[in-house]
Amino acid sequence: MAVSGVGGVNLNQLAQMYRQQVVSGADGTGGAARTAAGDPTAAARGADFGNVVRDGLSNLENLDRTAQGKAIQAATGDLTDVHDYVIAATQAQVATELTTTVRNKALEAFNEIMRMPL
Amino acid sequence: MFDSLSVNGTGMHVHQTWMNALSDNISNVNTVRATSETAFQARYVVAQSLEDGGTGDGVRVAGIELGDADGRLVYSPDHPLADAKGYVRLPDIDMGEQMTDLIMAQRGYQANLSSLDRVRASYQAAIQMGRG
Repeated sequence: MAVSGVGGVNLNQLAQMYRQQVVSGADGTGGAARTAAGDPTAAARGADFGNVVRDGLSNLENLDRTAQGKAIQAATGDLTDVHDYVIAATQAQVATELTTTVRNKALEAFNEIMRMPL
Repeated sequence: MFDSLSVNGTGMHVHQTWMNALSDNISNVNTVRATSETAFQARYVVAQSLEDGGTGDGVRVAGIELGDADGRLVYSPDHPLADAKGYVRLPDIDMGEQMTDLIMAQRGYQANLSSLDRVRASYQAAIQMGRG
């Protein structure tokens, strides 16, 4: 099950990229006149969503690590229950799908705002 | 998140343990012992529900109980383990019972698998809402 690291990118790096994107997204919506620093609510909103995404990603990373551990156990013959691995892999798979869907949605919304005619 | 998946996992674990126990019983069905010893005792898996005050947390193996230690005495004077009267001790395991239990354990495992599959499909259908 190749769910390790979405698209070959380390999940921590992805979380970093996410946060930067979200914070810069808050800057973008604020416009040049109102920077994120000048508008505390926008900054707080951005940070909140960033936290949500970061928590989701760390959760996903944990699930992914569990699945990988089970896969290693299966390969080395230490896995006592076959279904343990399948369940861990399923959890990691569904969590990955959920996270990527949320990311795509957020990115879509951001792009929509960027395309707004000024 | 995804609680149903791990709840199904607990059910599969219990049924897996049950199948292990039944396999052990069947493999030892002809284990002969001397009358001075106890017979091979059948293993019985004790299942216990896990309560969390809500919809429940699945099931766990609370322990393994052992069956009749007396077994049954069989007259077999030629057997090297036979006592002075020619008796040996065999386990008191009914093969028919073990096989029907094995079918129940197998079906229980499969039922948990089906449930797991449907839960996964439901989650994926929900995620599908966000695409498009």
